[in-house]
Amino acid sequence: MKKLTLFAGCLLIGCESTSHAPPPVTSQMTKVGTKQHVDLAALRDGRRLFVSRCIECHTLPAVTSHTASEWPRLIDEMAGRANLKPTERNAVLAYILAARAQ
Amino acid sequence: MTFTVGDAVSVPSKTPGSQRLPLQYSRAIWKSFFLVLLLSILPVFSIFGGARHFTFIYEAPTSAPGSIEMENWFTWRRTSDPARVDQVDFRHEFEFGVTDKFQASVYVADWNYASDRENSGFAYSDSAVELIYNFTNPVVDPIGLSAYEEIRIGDRIFELESKFIAQKNFGPLILAYNATLEAVWQGHGLEERVGELQQALGASYEISPRLSAGLELLHEIVFPDWRDEQHIRNLFVGPNVSYRRGNWFVTATALAQATSTEGEPDFQLRAIFGIGL
Repeated sequence: MKKLTLFAGCLLIGCESTSHAPPPVTSQMTKVGTKQHVDLAALRDGRRLFVSRCIECHTLPAVTSHTASEWPRLIDEMAGRANLKPTERNAVLAYILAARAQ
Repeated sequence: MTFTVGDAVSVPSKTPGSQRLPLQYSRAIWKSFFLVLLLSILPVFSIFGGARHFTFIYEAPTSAPGSIEMENWFTWRRTSDPARVDQVDFRHEFEFGVTDKFQASVYVADWNYASDRENSGFAYSDSAVELIYNFTNPVVDPIGLSAYEEIRIGDRIFELESKFIAQKNFGPLILAYNATLEAVWQGHGLEERVGELQQALGASYEISPRLSAGLELLHEIVFPDWRDEQHIRNLFVGPNVSYRRGNWFVTATALAQATSTEGEPDFQLRAIFGIGL
């Protein structure tokens, strides 16, 4: 049992650098976001929602896994299932587009 | 010995004849089952609470606030030592996303059908409430953590179950770990006491956004009467597969016993069908 616990611990703690986390919100992103009339708080909120709501059903896709023109349709498809309000949907989209434009 | 999900399994064998219901009750149970099934099919518009990648292991993320999901559980267990017994457990669960980090579930009914050489029949086991609080995120934090508490009440069973849930996502790979402590009071007058410490480890790889496959492993230490005199240790291992589409998902796991504990199932098959309401 101790071995199992140790094995589980090693597997789960892992290494943060390999966690495939989406990029944090940066000032560079804010500039991109500003062009889309989205402020820093909205971008942060968009990232928070992206990393929490999407993983309820599937693993998190890389922001570069789809083109900028594909993301709005994808998020519209998923927004209902993730129970995203319109402002939350816009925040998620703004974050993804800003992150992939970096 | 698994008293967790869908587990009226062990109860009837410990209280012979005490839980078999007359025919009219069996019909009532079937009617309720079909009603619940019908209700799960009717909704056209729905908000999904989330898909499961495992069936014997819980994941750290909680359901989106405002979401409601119905899950139907099916677990078939075959035990051959000391006698051959087949038991099928059913669970009907409603899951509610309360806040971003908190979800609550109600198990409307846990019931089962058991069959051996001498007897067969349906039995209602219990109903339960389950609460999960999420502390950290498995993608952006070093590890995703959640706490789980379940209270189960039946006419011949009372159970408290606490669970520590850990998870880490590495791109398309999900690793999850559960440590569970159960305290069970069962039988006439709830005089029988059983404790159980369980560890579960699972991996699920997302082959496509709709399909995942992986492995689950369960390790159990059972304490009849809260003593370890019998040294009951069980190990189960087997594959899982999960498919999701639209507002529904189905996940199945087949587990074989790697130990040879008497009275424990040689084989378990569990499937969960979930749909957003």
